[in-house]
Amino acid sequence: MLRVTALRMAKSTTLTLPALAGCRIALALATDLYDTLKHNHQLASPLTSYLNLQEGVFLFKNGVNPYSGGVFRHSPILLSLFTTVIPTSRRLASILWTLSDIAGAWALVQLWRARQRAPQTSRDGLVAAAYLLNPYLFLPTLALSSSTFENTLTLLSLMFAAQGNASLALVSAAILLHLSLPSILLSAPLILLLSSSNGPLSQLASPRAFTPNDKKWIALLGEYVAYAVFLSVISTLVSGGLSWIPQTWGANITLPDLTPNVGVWWYFFTEMFDHFRPFFLMVFSVHLIIYVAPLCIKFQYDPLYAAFVLLGVLGTFKAYPTMADIGLFASMFAVFPELFPYLRHPIVTILLHLHAALLMPLFHHLWLSQGTANANFFYATTLVFACANGAALTDCIWAGLRIAIGAPEEGFSVVQE
Amino acid sequence: MDRIRTRLRAIFRPEGDQSLLRLQRRRKLVSALTQRVDLIKWSFFLVGYLWMLALPSQQLGRGIYIDENALQPGQVNTYWNWGDVAAADRYLEQLEGLRDANASSHLRASTLAAEFMKLGIPASTQNYRFSSSVGTVEGTNAYAIISSPRTSGTEAMVISASWVSRIDEANGALNLRGVSTVLALAGFLKKYSLWAKDIVFVVSDGHMDGMQAWLNAYHGRTQSNLEADELELTSGVIWTALNIDYPGHSFSHLGIFHEGINGRLPNQDLLNSLTWIARWTVPVIIYDHLETPRLQIPSWMPNSLRDEIRTYDYRSRNVLRHVKHQARGRGSGVHGLFHQFRIDAFTMFALPATGPHGFHALGHIIESTLRTTNNLLERLHASIFFYILTASEHFLKIGSYLPSAIMISVAMMFSGLKVWSDSAWVMSSDEKGSTWIQRRRPVLPVLVIMFSTHILGCSVFALTKTSWFINNLKTSSAIILALCGTLPLSALFVPKQNPHTVAPMSQLLKALNLCFASTVISITTVVNFSLAATLAILLGIPLTVSLSSSLLPLRLGQYGAYLSLALGWLSAQEEIRSALWDWQILGVWFAPFVCIVYTPLVLQAAIACLLPV
Amino acid sequence: MRLLLFLLVVALVSAASQHEEVVGDFFSRSSNHTNNWAVLVCSSRYWFNYRHMANALGMYRTVKRLGIPDSNIILMLADDAACNSRNRFPGSVYANPGRLLDLYGENIEVDYRGYDVTVENFIRVITGRLDSSVPRNKRLLSDAHSNVFVYMTGHGGNEFLKFQDNEEISAWDIADAFEQMWQKRRYNELFFMIDTCQANTMYSKFYSPNILATGSSKLDQSSFSYENDADIGVSVIDRYTHYVLEYMENINKTSQTSMADLFAFYDPVKIASDPGVRSDLFRRPLDQVRITDFLGGVARAEVSDDDL
Repeated sequence: MLRVTALRMAKSTTLTLPALAGCRIALALATDLYDTLKHNHQLASPLTSYLNLQEGVFLFKNGVNPYSGGVFRHSPILLSLFTTVIPTSRRLASILWTLSDIAGAWALVQLWRARQRAPQTSRDGLVAAAYLLNPYLFLPTLALSSSTFENTLTLLSLMFAAQGNASLALVSAAILLHLSLPSILLSAPLILLLSSSNGPLSQLASPRAFTPNDKKWIALLGEYVAYAVFLSVISTLVSGGLSWIPQTWGANITLPDLTPNVGVWWYFFTEMFDHFRPFFLMVFSVHLIIYVAPLCIKFQYDPLYAAFVLLGVLGTFKAYPTMADIGLFASMFAVFPELFPYLRHPIVTILLHLHAALLMPLFHHLWLSQGTANANFFYATTLVFACANGAALTDCIWAGLRIAIGAPEEGFSVVQE
Repeated sequence: MDRIRTRLRAIFRPEGDQSLLRLQRRRKLVSALTQRVDLIKWSFFLVGYLWMLALPSQQLGRGIYIDENALQPGQVNTYWNWGDVAAADRYLEQLEGLRDANASSHLRASTLAAEFMKLGIPASTQNYRFSSSVGTVEGTNAYAIISSPRTSGTEAMVISASWVSRIDEANGALNLRGVSTVLALAGFLKKYSLWAKDIVFVVSDGHMDGMQAWLNAYHGRTQSNLEADELELTSGVIWTALNIDYPGHSFSHLGIFHEGINGRLPNQDLLNSLTWIARWTVPVIIYDHLETPRLQIPSWMPNSLRDEIRTYDYRSRNVLRHVKHQARGRGSGVHGLFHQFRIDAFTMFALPATGPHGFHALGHIIESTLRTTNNLLERLHASIFFYILTASEHFLKIGSYLPSAIMISVAMMFSGLKVWSDSAWVMSSDEKGSTWIQRRRPVLPVLVIMFSTHILGCSVFALTKTSWFINNLKTSSAIILALCGTLPLSALFVPKQNPHTVAPMSQLLKALNLCFASTVISITTVVNFSLAATLAILLGIPLTVSLSSSLLPLRLGQYGAYLSLALGWLSAQEEIRSALWDWQILGVWFAPFVCIVYTPLVLQAAIACLLPV
Repeated sequence: MRLLLFLLVVALVSAASQHEEVVGDFFSRSSNHTNNWAVLVCSSRYWFNYRHMANALGMYRTVKRLGIPDSNIILMLADDAACNSRNRFPGSVYANPGRLLDLYGENIEVDYRGYDVTVENFIRVITGRLDSSVPRNKRLLSDAHSNVFVYMTGHGGNEFLKFQDNEEISAWDIADAFEQMWQKRRYNELFFMIDTCQANTMYSKFYSPNILATGSSKLDQSSFSYENDADIGVSVIDRYTHYVLEYMENINKTSQTSMADLFAFYDPVKIASDPGVRSDLFRRPLDQVRITDFLGGVARAEVSDDDL
């Protein structure tokens, strides 16, 4: 009897992913939301918008260097992909984007299985659903934002690293780096994960010092750099010059396009006097880097967890975030169920998120379509959003550290010194 | 000095283990809060509802003022004269002839266009046809455009009149004098070269439908159920629009109607300009509410108090009227359609009376108002879009009305969080004594229930959109009632779980339902305060007091009460018909909001009563 | 020996101070300028600021009537009210409700107009740091013998004046520019007049010699408009400038009326704000400074005994 239920359970979980994937493809085919979502600033930033991609492809096909203007900021890899292999048909594009999401969900499930060191678990379906049914993720996909590919690549590289496949993990990470510069920060936990002896297993409950695996990390770093340099050379050849560097990577540091987004940078720099700009650009960029070392050191025994927290930091504080970035962070919670009992204020965080997620499109509409509100309204809600993300992050860090102390007992409580 | 320092240290950094002290401090704070959470909750409810009652009082709010510098209202001589009044009278005779001959829409519109062209103004007509489940509407609009003589015509202002007046559209009172005013104004305004914007004259057919078709065509927006001609003449971006409604023979007051569809309001500067301009000629009121005493106030009351009560009575009528227009998202007239395209507009309603005013006064006021809007250098933008007019010269700022609904929503949030945190603990008593033990709170099934009520709401809405529903309102309402009434009863069969290990689903559902309802209310406040306030009244206390009991009849009784709250709207058949018409023709989201948000929220509370304790 | 040295120093110092008195006396007698210049600035645009353009144009008419030629007047108007499509009387600007006198007329030379009126251009004009391609009529070609009259009007606040709705000049900017003018010997004496809200704060930072300054209102006071014309539909002039111009109408090229008379004429009740005067940097007593020293043109004929 027990075996039969187990079997049925296994069957149902193996069926969940294809079923959800089918739903998503049907959604992509049945609804054509692209036209209503394409100008949505929460779903696509200037660096990921499909409109800009089309513009770049058009310019490229007509013999104009797409990087000579200020509109196209996608990587030359995407440019070459969309000018040669993939035709820019909308229908096809929405299927391609959905497939990318499905690949991401599959990678997340594999990541979960690798962390559990089990070929199949009862939560597989739930993990896949957390990725495929997350509105923060499927709305950007319907808007054809290239952040979908970034998420998929992030998950693929983490998955390969968790499975111990160093080359594939590093190749994915290098492609990801070309799509989005801030992902370079993820290379630290990724290399840690590859060179740690525990792999992706949950070590949160039993922290111990990281034992360096000889000088393996140097080789891995070298490999990563080699792939990145190789791709850069190809990019340079494809775009016929180095002008892609300031337009794609540079945009993350110099913030040339102040189109509103869900992040905290744009409004700050619209209000900034020009002579303070370089200084604050430096402050904002360095602020991102600051998190890497402490997180990697503190969670050295569980690099996957460090990568997870870092993804939350990036989604909150990077220059051009979209909903998809924080959506990835939210969906990855499914991989760390051991946290849940130790979160201090999950319901408050969720309610804060709910408010921000509803108010952002609303204030965006009031400001830009209806004209009754102004930029401050929208910016205020992006701050609420950032606070919600911050609350989630601090709670994660707390819970990640708290697990090690053990289950709460009557008469004892844990405080932070 | 040292003594003070030691004393301060004793307060802020007492001796002992700092962490322990901090822990104790936090415990004390948390327990102080949790013990009083009911008090806090109910006082928030009380203050919120009292605040709502206080909205019409004289103490809240302030007098109107003009914020935009460029407007410069009422600083010009007006030249509209008796000759122009005579012209308006002649147009009126012609229109009365058309009315008496029962002329078709098309004939009417082409006659109007011909009159415009006689004045030397380019004019044209537009045919349109809306089809909806409620029925089809068709008609013909007439419009004309005076190009600005000295600018490039990138901006425009509109003067419009609908063929049917807003007074009781069902009775079909015609806006003949409004239309004649528009025609006479066209001839008059053409004589001046100082217009910095094109002036567009629109005589729209029907009441709302004609203008919706015209605006859609002007802005190039397609609507699936609308077939309309393209406009032959166009102009620049429209910034402001004045709609004239003059159904009577003469008028005594000018009434301002300003609510747009979906709760959008025009910039208050525009309304204030009219009030300012008309203040020496015609008294301005809001809506058609005259400030006549209705209440018999006992004579023993002191005079000042009597005054206060009269004002409160008058303003409360205005506020209620505002809520009525705004909450249903219908708007209070043709002007409301302009708001969809970011055009600030309002209707001047000439309140029918035996005197003393007529075309002469109206023409002067419109001329001066046009000179004012002509001065605009950019769209009206300073943030006076959020207000409640309590009288024509008195209004409530956002800060003085918003907190009322927000407080109720906060109270609901507190109740929800309290239920949530309470549900994690259960008292377990055995022979050794009683202890609190923690239990699991499975959220997923609760979310599934909430999600499925919304899906149910969606399907109800899909059903109401069919023409079958409209044609058989009685039967279809009964079907909906039966569907929504029986499906949740399946909650009775949910197995009871061990309350010592798992929190009861009814509590969790109630907690999440309250939190979600609170979120909906606080978010709606910024788009449509009236709707949010109505929700706060309908949902606030009812959702908070729901409770599941072990007695089946009590559970079913509560369930019935909530069900009637959720689906009570099925009995208002006329209201359903017009809400559906509004949704299909004008895109007013009140109908979908009720089906997809409101009804499911109440159904969730109903289900929470049914679920086992 | 020490005592002797001390006495010597004392003697020298007293001699020097005596000498200064003599020099001061000499200069205070009358202005020894040989040419007059005027810089008239209206810094605000938009139709509803009609009155600011009328202020500047009224001042333009007055200095021209009192004898400063167009070549010595730099007129900066940030907008063109005369040709605004809202103007019921195209091509004209009036400063009084009856529309008796057209200030725009046919004989007008606007040197900087529209978007050319910027803080940078204003400072470049008065300090003479213009590109070599700029024509002579757009330059302030004053020298150490010039009396310069600077008039400014627009929307201002505490220690700033708004230009074009997107930038502002601060009191320090103007003070430094005047100091630069002094160092570059671009004026002999300078008369600064400003009509804006909180105008008196604008000259509070001046530190260069020989500057006489006056403004329409003190800190935290608005400068109000005088009257509006019901056909033009906007206010046509500001109160302060209106009364100053009214006073000027009684003055001609040969008037001996002094600045002290003008300042005594200020009536805070009529002007509806408290006009201020700053004369601590100025060396001559105000009752000996003729208005025409600044607002009039020097037309001095020199009689020569020599045969030609």
